[in-house]
Amino acid sequence: MRGMVKLMSVLSGLVLWHVLAIRVINDTSLLISPLVVIAKGYDMLFVTADLYPHLYASSWIFLQGMLLATVAGVPLGFLMALSPVVRDYVNPWMTALYTTPRIAFAPVILLWFGIDMASKVLIVFLGCVFPILINSFYGMRVVSREFVEVGRSFRLSRGRLFLKILLPASVPFILAGLRLAVGRGLTGVAIAEWFGATEGLGYLIFFAGQTLNLPILFVGVAVFAILGIAGFQLLKVIEDLASPWRKELAGK
Amino acid sequence: MAAPVLELRNLTKEVSTGSGVPFVIFKDISLSVKEGEFVSIVGPSGCGKTTLLRVVNGLLPPSSGQILIDGKEQTGADHELVMGFVFQGASLLPWRTSLKNVLLGVEGRKPPKEAEEIARYYLNLVGLSGFENHYPHQLSGGMQQRVNLARALVVDPRILLMDEPFAALDAQTRTFMQLELLRIWSHTKKTVIFITHMISEAILLSDRVVVFSHRPGRVRSEFAVPLARPRNLDIKSDHRFVELENKVWKQIEEEVKAAAGFAAL
Repeated sequence: MRGMVKLMSVLSGLVLWHVLAIRVINDTSLLISPLVVIAKGYDMLFVTADLYPHLYASSWIFLQGMLLATVAGVPLGFLMALSPVVRDYVNPWMTALYTTPRIAFAPVILLWFGIDMASKVLIVFLGCVFPILINSFYGMRVVSREFVEVGRSFRLSRGRLFLKILLPASVPFILAGLRLAVGRGLTGVAIAEWFGATEGLGYLIFFAGQTLNLPILFVGVAVFAILGIAGFQLLKVIEDLASPWRKELAGK
Repeated sequence: MAAPVLELRNLTKEVSTGSGVPFVIFKDISLSVKEGEFVSIVGPSGCGKTTLLRVVNGLLPPSSGQILIDGKEQTGADHELVMGFVFQGASLLPWRTSLKNVLLGVEGRKPPKEAEEIARYYLNLVGLSGFENHYPHQLSGGMQQRVNLARALVVDPRILLMDEPFAALDAQTRTFMQLELLRIWSHTKKTVIFITHMISEAILLSDRVVVFSHRPGRVRSEFAVPLARPRNLDIKSDHRFVELENKVWKQIEEEVKAAAGFAAL
């Protein structure tokens, strides 16, 4: 039933878009029908196959940035939760970096690291790392006092308390952070590839915009959207597998 | 007479407040509990019963006074694992099944096979065989507290500390769990300190009922329960039960009134 509603939502949106393009705007230099976009997408995937280099380039940057952000963000978030000194030390920088629009950093990063992979990954990293860090921090901070007392009443060592109580209690928060990071990471990909790139979905969109090639422009945007949804859903599945108790609690 | 297994000497707990005047939660608690004795502590809300249990368990440090187990003073970190703690509410780890929750206290301390056997034994003792792989949210409130009890028993503690374990249960389930606790206790013969608001629960279960004053909590009086074991619900109509219940209630009523008068100042 809920699946039906979602399907109807997507279909009615596409129909509205189609009608708007064909009947209302009726100018292919401003808006094109979703059917044209789908046809172009099919073409770029299965006929000319010229989408793949861009897809690979963007996915690779995204995955690297995301992975680095996880490897750095989760432990740092934990350290901040467990040590007030680390928390106070990192906090001003974290707040400043988190609230500054990342696009402001992009030119500087490109200036310092050049237009190759490193700077792109760094831009994606900057986008992903904060939601992951903040969620990991928060997850470990809000572990119920009662759970910690249970561990202490059994005289668990600090290491065991971390492994058996704090870490599992934080897992749902970390995964939620990763989920939030997907969207911000993809934004990072688009930004990184707008500046002096020669391939990637961001470059494709930028290039298509400059040359007023609406079909390619929309294909690029659609692929970004699909990647975002896919990443989001994938993490949701992982979340449900990792903490089945949480899904059932939410379902009640 | 057997030496006390647990002895509290002038135990006091204060917390510092912003104003500099320490807030006294309980004061000069002296209590001695014999091996195998079931002692209940009753008192008005906010008299520091729960905090006392946490201090006894070593979860919080006392401000002054001593805790002795088998005549040996317990200091800070070297509180050994001689006590099992049954927590009030939803303290089961939601990411662990019943069996894994019960295992928490023994895993890593015993070979895995032996640990699991022990855990299964206690789950069976509390009447939950067949529910090993259920997660806490799949169990009723009463069943959750059974797991909670099994989890505390699994380390075979000298002393079992129970912090209002049935407070969140409905009246019927609560009565049933009281009888279950009597049954389980008769199997394990643990020394128990049981915190409750409910006077009838305290009398039904205990050898001795300790009444606390209002804050700061002090031992106001102690009553031996003159009722033979094994007990069942029939003893609730025994005149000695009713008399004791009235006596304890009068004291608590006075304490509640005194606390209210204090608050009105």
